Amino acid sequence: MNYSMVRSLVLKDWYFQRKAIVLCLAGGVLSLGIIAFGGKMGFYLGLLLLITVMIVIGATLVMGTLVGERENQTLAFVMSLPISFREYTAAKMLVNLLLFIPFWLILVAGSLGLIVAAPTIHGLFAFTVIMAVEILMSTCLMIAVALVTESKGWTISAMMAGNLAINVIGYVVAHIPGISDGMFGTTIQWRPAATLSVLVEFALIALMLGGAFFLQSRKKDFI
Amino acid sequence: MNDVSVHFAGVSKRYPHFSLEEIHFELPTGSIMGFIGANGAGKSTTIRILMGLVHQDTGTVEVLGHPMPADQAAAKMDIGFVSEDMRLYGAAPLAWHMEFLRGIYPRWDQSYAENLARRFDLKPEQKIKGLSHGQRVKAALLLALARRPRLLVLDEPTTGLDPVARVEVLGELMAALADEERTILFSSHNTLDVENISDQITFIDRGRIIDSDNKEAFLDRWRRLRLLLPPDVVVPRLPGVVEVGGSGRLPVITTNCFDPVMVSVCNDLGATVEAVDTMTLEEIFVANVHSRRERLTA
Repeated sequence: MNYSMVRSLVLKDWYFQRKAIVLCLAGGVLSLGIIAFGGKMGFYLGLLLLITVMIVIGATLVMGTLVGERENQTLAFVMSLPISFREYTAAKMLVNLLLFIPFWLILVAGSLGLIVAAPTIHGLFAFTVIMAVEILMSTCLMIAVALVTESKGWTISAMMAGNLAINVIGYVVAHIPGISDGMFGTTIQWRPAATLSVLVEFALIALMLGGAFFLQSRKKDFI
Repeated sequence: MNDVSVHFAGVSKRYPHFSLEEIHFELPTGSIMGFIGANGAGKSTTIRILMGLVHQDTGTVEVLGHPMPADQAAAKMDIGFVSEDMRLYGAAPLAWHMEFLRGIYPRWDQSYAENLARRFDLKPEQKIKGLSHGQRVKAALLLALARRPRLLVLDEPTTGLDPVARVEVLGELMAALADEERTILFSSHNTLDVENISDQITFIDRGRIIDSDNKEAFLDRWRRLRLLLPPDVVVPRLPGVVEVGGSGRLPVITTNCFDPVMVSVCNDLGATVEAVDTMTLEEIFVANVHSRRERLTA
């Protein structure tokens, strides 16, 4: 693996995505502020805005760094560089995760911080962690689909599937015994059901990214 | 130093509606090969296989001593590639692209890049999206040349350029040849461009290489003989005839292995050779393609 080449591609994508990331980060901080100081109505509005911002940044990164290369016909330029398919795949996966995860961590840490600071919603702690990982999982689904298909249509479909999954998984998680019990309580609880849910989500993330890597390695036509 | 920069042996690639069949060719180091074919003939597919961007189904490809596509990263360190459908990043200036490539290619020649920018009348601080098509092609060519590649692969680089830009681009290619170790593969459907700069010519049609030789040999061995036939004299049987046109008593024979002896042979057989015309590369290409297609449909 030519790490120096992978690094160059990661820095290139950072250069082109930096403004979008800063804008979304500002949106994320704003939504945390609304959650913290907006009262009951602000809590729900801010939460909605926070989830939207996380989805938007994931989609922006995937569209800009993966689908955009083909749409804007810059893929031929990138692939003319001394890079193999494997290195290209690694670079694209890495840049999306490296740019999304810190952003995601900041917003998740902010959300959990707000929950810890407000004893009335302590019960939402486990649910919030599981849903935050679900958002990471949806982003990874988009990354995997965009990498393999390089298609705007399929990537948008993956985005829609991820968004629907937030509602479905949210509903399911909210009914899992061991998580639902204390959800509206005033104490922070972390039970085995929560650990299992998060582990399943991380296993699915690994499966999606590993699957994308596997499928990419079997591709015969790159342009 | 390897004497052959590109070696294709029995390369095939099949798509549902197009096949590249049994491609064999060699590109000697230091030569410029013009790769001529109509649209959809297989030029770009061949070049993509050469670059490792498309995997061949069968056959072997070696570029600068590296097997492709397995060793494409190492091979591409010494290749400058420009294709008609390649775009640079519109939101970034040319200077950013230069800096980006400078960090990747150890042989990047910044002073040459700046010199080329002046010659091409490009402003490095200008964003790519603000450039005309001709300027974008020149920018891509600058970025390929300043890497100081051993092999330059140009896939239809002059398509869509105005005459002035085309002459400038071709002129710079000729200048790049001052380095005798540099090899160029230049694909185009514009035979005039290819004729101007190439010393090797390869014709491709419907996924097959139909002829390959050095340019002088092509121009020497292809001729049109304009004959005058007296009554009762038939068209003489000559070697390498690919086409017989003209009217009954005034046939025009196109041959791909002309020899001055043919003139006396015709005279001996009772036909008068009114003229022996040289052919342009375009005429040679068209005659070559037509004769092959007729053979296939016969």
